[in-house]
Amino acid sequence: MNRKHFLNTTSLLLAGISASWAKSPHKDTVPDEELVFRQPPFLKAGDVIGITSPAGYTPAESILPASQLMQSWGFQIKVGNAIGKQDHSFGGTDEERLSDLQQMLDDPDIKTIMCARGGYGAIRLVDRLDWKAFRRKPKWLIGFSDITVLHAHIHRNCQIATLHSKMTNSFPDIWTQAEPIQVETINSIREALSGKKMTYEAPAAEGNRPGSAEGILIGGNLKTLETLAGSPSDIDTRNKILFVEDTGEYLYSIDRMFWNLKRSGKLDQLKGLIVGGFKIKPDDPGSEFGRSLSEIVLEKTAALKIPVAFDFPVGHQKNNFALKCGVRHRLTVLDSGSRLVET
Amino acid sequence: MSIHIPPYLEKGDAVGIVAPAGYMPVEKMQTCIETLDAWGYTVVMGATTHSQSENYFSGTDEERLADFQEMLDNKDIKAIICARGGYGMSRIIDRLNFKKFRKHPKWLVGYSDITVLHAHILTRFKIASLHAPMASAYNDGGAESAYIQSVRKALAGEPADYECAPHPMNRTGEAKGELVGGNLSLLVHLIGTPSDLAVKHKILFIEDVGEYLYTIDRMILQLKRAGKLDKLEGLIIGGFTDIKDTDRPFGKSVYELIREHVKEFDYPVCYQFPVSHERENYALKIGGHYKLDVTDEKVKLYES
Repeated sequence: MNRKHFLNTTSLLLAGISASWAKSPHKDTVPDEELVFRQPPFLKAGDVIGITSPAGYTPAESILPASQLMQSWGFQIKVGNAIGKQDHSFGGTDEERLSDLQQMLDDPDIKTIMCARGGYGAIRLVDRLDWKAFRRKPKWLIGFSDITVLHAHIHRNCQIATLHSKMTNSFPDIWTQAEPIQVETINSIREALSGKKMTYEAPAAEGNRPGSAEGILIGGNLKTLETLAGSPSDIDTRNKILFVEDTGEYLYSIDRMFWNLKRSGKLDQLKGLIVGGFKIKPDDPGSEFGRSLSEIVLEKTAALKIPVAFDFPVGHQKNNFALKCGVRHRLTVLDSGSRLVET
Repeated sequence: MSIHIPPYLEKGDAVGIVAPAGYMPVEKMQTCIETLDAWGYTVVMGATTHSQSENYFSGTDEERLADFQEMLDNKDIKAIICARGGYGMSRIIDRLNFKKFRKHPKWLVGYSDITVLHAHILTRFKIASLHAPMASAYNDGGAESAYIQSVRKALAGEPADYECAPHPMNRTGEAKGELVGGNLSLLVHLIGTPSDLAVKHKILFIEDVGEYLYTIDRMILQLKRAGKLDKLEGLIIGGFTDIKDTDRPFGKSVYELIREHVKEFDYPVCYQFPVSHERENYALKIGGHYKLDVTDEKVKLYES
C-alpha cells in the first residue's frame, strides 16, 4: 500500500513538472544543480563485493575467474545464494533471486553488488525490491544488458549512480592469457570502483556528429530501455547524455526502437547521444532494410543540435568499458574521434 | 466521449488497397481484389501495390506516405485495406495528415504492423477501425473462410457474433465495453508515444507471432507495469504463433506466463481466441462496443 501511495505521489509530482515545462517554453533546461545523483562510496582494500544473479542462470564455477581476480585487487567476495541456483533459464526462482539481491542491498557490509550475468529476469523482481536500506547507504550496482532494468529503476527512483560494465561472465578464464582489450576493460571496473575519474576514447566513426556537451550519463541496452517505457522505471533523458547498445536485433527493430525514443519525447532534450556496439542480426534475403545503423540514428536526431558518437566502446563485445551512470560527463565529438570524460 | 464509427459500405462503394509497410507482389493480392469485386465494391489500387521496390519496403517513406495520404483524402474511398503489415507504419504515422479523414472517417483495415494506425486514430481522434486479415489471407481458399467472411460482414455493418471453444485456462465471467487491442509487440512499442492506446475499462485483445517466450513475458510485464492490465473489463488472448525459446527453456508456455501475470485481477480472460497471424483471425472493430461471455462451455464475443 505504501509503495503504491509513493508511486502515485511520484507520478503526480512528475506530471506537475512536465506541466510547468509546457507552460514555460523558455525554461527549456532543468537547472543543472537540481540534477545531482548521489555517488556510492568508492571501494577500499578489504571491502566486500557481493555477486548475485538477478536474471539468467549462473553455474557456481563460472564466477571463479572474476572472484579470484577481484580478490587479487584486495577485495573480499561474497557469493550470493542465487549463484548456482536454476529455475529453467533463470538464476533461481523469482523468490530466490529476489531474496538474494535484497539481502545484498540491505547488508551494510557489502559495498558493491556485481551481477553475474544478464539474460532475462530483472524486470520480474524490480517492483518487489525494497530500496530503503540502499537509499540510506548507497552501494555500487554493477552490470549491463538485462541489468539495465536496475540501472534505470535506481536512476529514476533513487537518483543514485550505478556502474554499467562487464559482469562476472565476461572475465577471462585465465587472466594472464587475457587479450589487451579484456585487461583494459576489466581494469576499468577496478578504476571506477576505486574512484578514479574516467576518460574514454573512441576512434573516428562513420556518422559521428561533432560537438560538445555536458550532462549526466545514463543509458544501457536499447531494447530493455524500450520495455521500461511507461513504467515506474522509465528513464528521464532530459539534459542527459544518453548511451545505447544492443545485440541480436534486426535493423528494422532498431529503427522501431529509435522511433519509440523519438515519439515518446526522449530525444528532444538530450545533451548528447552515444551509440555503442550494435550486433545486428542480418536482414533476411530479399528483405533488405536499406539503411545503416548510423542512418537510422541520424534520421531521428537530424533536427537536434547535439553531438552524436558512434562505435563507442560499450556493448555486448570485448570492447566494453565501465561507465559511471548518473555521473556528470563531458562528451566531445570531433572528426578525429570522440571522447567522454568524467567531470 | 463516444467513438466515431465510420459509415458502413454499400454496393458500388470504392475500396482502396495500399501497402504502407512491407513489400508485396501484386499477384498475391489478386484473390483479395476479386473477392472485394465479388462483394460489389470497386477496388482502387494504390501506387504502393505495384511497387518496383527492391528492398524490404513497398516504397520509400515518401511513396508510402503519399499513397496512403491520397487514399485518406479521397472522399470516394470508403475503406482502405492494407495489403500486408511487416514493418513501416511507425516511420510515416506522424507525417500523415488526418484532417480530411477526421471529417469523413472511413474504415482502415489490417493488423500486425497496422496496429500502429489503429491505435493512433482511436487515441487521437476516437475513430474506430477494423483489425482484420489482409490480402494474403484471401488466397488458397481463405476467401470462403468464416474469417474473411467476417470482414465482409463487418464492412457491410452486420454486427459481429463470434463463438469459440473454451480453453482450460479461461477465467469465466462476463464483460462489456469498448474493444481495443492488436499486436502485442506494437502495442508496447507505442507506450509513451502520442499513439499509445488507452485500455482502462475496456476489453483488450492481444496476439503476436515469432517472438521468444522471454520477450513475451517482458512485454506482458511492460503492459502490467505501465498500468495497462489492472483495470480491464476483459482480456482476450489470441494466437501466439511461431513462438521461439532460448537454449535453456523458459519453462512456461505463453498462456501460462500470461495467466501468472493476470492472476491477481478478476476480469474474464479467454485464451486461443481466433485472432492471430494464422488463418483464424476474425474481424474486430477497434473502438467497437462488444460483450464478452466466457463460460465453461464456450466463449462468445459479440457486438452490442
